[in-house]
Amino acid sequence: MNSFKSFWLAALLLVSAQFTFAQTAPTAKPSAKGATEQFQIKTSAVCDMCKARLEKAMAYEKGVQEAHLDVPSQVLTVSYRPDKTTPATLRTAVQRTGYDADDQTAEARAYERLPDCCKKTNKVHSDTGHK
Amino acid sequence: MQPSLGQRFSAVLGLVLSSAVACAQTTVVPPVQGQITDATGSSPLPGAVVRWLAAATTSATTDGTGKFTLVRPAHGAASRLVVSALGYQADTLTIGATDQAFVRVALRRSVALGEVKIEERAPAYSSLTPTNTQVITTRDLTKSACCNLAESFETNAAVEVSTTDAVSGAKQIQLLGLDGAYSLLTVDNLPALRGLSTPYRLSYLSGTWIEGIDIIKGMGSVVNGYESISGQVNVRLKEPDKAERLLFNAYGNDLGKFDLNLNLSAPLSKKLSTALLLHSDHLGRRVDRNQDGFLDLPLATQYNLFNKWKYKSEKGLVAEVGLGALRETREGGQVNFRPDQPRNFYGTTLATDRYTGFAKTSYTWPGRPYQSLGLLLSGTSHIFDSQYGIRSYDGAQRTGLATLLFQSVLGTTAHTYRLGLSYLHDNYEEVYKDGFIYPAESVQERYEREHRNRYERVPGAFAEYTYQNARNLTLVGGLRLDRHNLYSWVLTPRLNVKYDVTPNTVLRLATGTGFRTANPIAENSGMLVSSREFVLADNLRPERAWNAGGSFTQYFTVAGHPATFVADYYHTEFQNQVVADAYSAPTVLQIGNLEPGGRSFSRSFQTEVQVEPVKGLQAKAAYKYLDVRTTYAGELLPKALTPRHRLFANVGYATAFDKWRGDLTLQWFGQRPLAHNPGSHHEHGAGAAPTTLNYAPRYALLNSQVTRAFKRLEVYIGVENLTDYRQPDPIAGASSPFGPGFDAAMVWGPTYGRLTYAGLRFKID
Repeated sequence: MNSFKSFWLAALLLVSAQFTFAQTAPTAKPSAKGATEQFQIKTSAVCDMCKARLEKAMAYEKGVQEAHLDVPSQVLTVSYRPDKTTPATLRTAVQRTGYDADDQTAEARAYERLPDCCKKTNKVHSDTGHK
Repeated sequence: MQPSLGQRFSAVLGLVLSSAVACAQTTVVPPVQGQITDATGSSPLPGAVVRWLAAATTSATTDGTGKFTLVRPAHGAASRLVVSALGYQADTLTIGATDQAFVRVALRRSVALGEVKIEERAPAYSSLTPTNTQVITTRDLTKSACCNLAESFETNAAVEVSTTDAVSGAKQIQLLGLDGAYSLLTVDNLPALRGLSTPYRLSYLSGTWIEGIDIIKGMGSVVNGYESISGQVNVRLKEPDKAERLLFNAYGNDLGKFDLNLNLSAPLSKKLSTALLLHSDHLGRRVDRNQDGFLDLPLATQYNLFNKWKYKSEKGLVAEVGLGALRETREGGQVNFRPDQPRNFYGTTLATDRYTGFAKTSYTWPGRPYQSLGLLLSGTSHIFDSQYGIRSYDGAQRTGLATLLFQSVLGTTAHTYRLGLSYLHDNYEEVYKDGFIYPAESVQERYEREHRNRYERVPGAFAEYTYQNARNLTLVGGLRLDRHNLYSWVLTPRLNVKYDVTPNTVLRLATGTGFRTANPIAENSGMLVSSREFVLADNLRPERAWNAGGSFTQYFTVAGHPATFVADYYHTEFQNQVVADAYSAPTVLQIGNLEPGGRSFSRSFQTEVQVEPVKGLQAKAAYKYLDVRTTYAGELLPKALTPRHRLFANVGYATAFDKWRGDLTLQWFGQRPLAHNPGSHHEHGAGAAPTTLNYAPRYALLNSQVTRAFKRLEVYIGVENLTDYRQPDPIAGASSPFGPGFDAAMVWGPTYGRLTYAGLRFKID
């Protein structure tokens, strides 16, 4: 039963790793303590693929409760915990994903890595081939 | 994630849709007009086909300035417009019923060195390729521990991975029930890991290096040579310009095996980028869980590195260079065996040095994205020394391959062709010593018996024509003619047809021939770990086979999510095969040509269904029927160790944004025939084989893995063989490994039972 023991050991390792990182991981549900605030960023996102990318990137940011991108208006609405993050941090996160955040331009390398359809040279499009 | 209907037509794309201007209601609905351009050069694209998704018969072709006019379908709702051109990724857009639309669409080139490239988000079964292609994505690869290529196929039903023997731990892939040697393995679309590297090749590519894997069943293109018989497995390594800046992976399991992987990539300028892929693994613990006195897995240490460069000019020139080096040592056998002091213990050792390099250069004519010229060069040096008990087997293979490839169109992009020349230089030197010295044999005779050299020089030419009517029919016909210095002319015809009965129903046919030179010792290296003597006929001829088959793919929706059903059947028939016969005489492995009047064939039927019943939950189930038989000494018998029936099921669940991912895979294997134990002739007398075959029992395996993703870090833990199933006696005659009954080659099940592992991946984009 040696392997069984090591299985639980490894399981414990994973759980503890999870615990260690819980502080940096965003919480999925709005918690009672700490109010939630909202703010909006105008981005350079142009399609549903951008939407999926940005919303996923936001989901992995500390203090973000919810993020929603409205593709036609290119506006990203973020609900966040002000005790955990700031709008400036989140704007940087948007840039690092490859998109402009308000008047700040996207990080060059991240932008390069975007699929062609997500590039700024495209106009906003509602192509269905992006899901 | 399976994209739905129109999405499959449009892979990814630079699309500019000038928003339609709503116009006053008129009684006459104007036709849709527009212009199609090339996304890279923004030049007009003549010959592109524009059609309605719902009314496939109405189509228009763009003129010399890329413009088209297309009448609308006769219904009120919005319609989907499909734009396609060969050499480009198709695109789909929605046009309102009465919009006075002028659309401008920039199509993205799909040409990556003349090969159609499959996007990261393509469905598992592509609807675009003319061949029956299944894609394993990066995301699929993270479903299993993925130390190396062998584990990459764990969550896939098409390819089977089997262990060659209970001592060396070498793993082999099988396609259509045929050994790995019959499927062509390509890395970045260049033939790789051929010949003498076959036995251990799956461990030569680390899972973290791999961007994706394309599995093509049946006959593929003639461009990659005449060798593939059962199919092709193409491994795409990470691209220097697209890969993560840093990816670090560490893995450990409870046998004591560790893996470390580090990928680094950097753009050096706007045009030049590089990636460095590093891998090391080590197993230093002697484990013998089944108490048979033999290590369950050999001690092994591997250092492996690959460096890839990519140059992309703005003017259509793309160059890629890759350089790789590998060093591996393995040591298996009895627990008390030490290579420096073998005493009376049985042991196996293997030391491998491998160097590879490739250079691919392609030039695409400006304004003519369908026309390109490519030069593909690759070279490999593979040298190994191995010892199996008293036998030794050393080898060196030096291969060089050059291919010049030109691609263009005939009139319109409906007719494309590829022409090329190739030259293969393949030099083999093998030394096999069975450990015996026969007094009657002269030194010269002995030298000739033990040394097997082969030098192949094969110039060849090929042509491939593709017809695509942009609606529902694709036809690829290829022919190649090679002049083999040892076997004279080799003609290889191949044909692939894809027909879309409806946009959601795809039929494919593939047929053609294949040719290869067998490397009988390397391909039967598992049998070296038994007391069977190798008896090689000295008139071995090359292997020739034809293969014909087809597939039926149906896309549909279940609970609002896309689902796929695939069924395929392939028949492979050998005109000649180098047959390794362990049935006829238990004490020897007779290797010779397929006997006159004998048959050797494989019939493979597979059906698979993939569904997503709830968002995030993906399930697939597959059934496979394999009938692989060969005439051995006048008797048509099933191939040893190949199960006739096999079931596969996989359930995967991912929470929103993939923060948690869980996977459970079930594999069930039916009975499989076994070769007779080499010691069994004592009971039956006179070396004649027993007349009935023994079969291994049915069994099932369960694997599971859970992954937790954080912003830059992923942590995973998994269990292979959850139920701890083991083959009771994987090594027959383990107590006297130099005796007549010793056989570690009849491995049909797991030897070391349950395996628990954990690992992490750290990534900086």
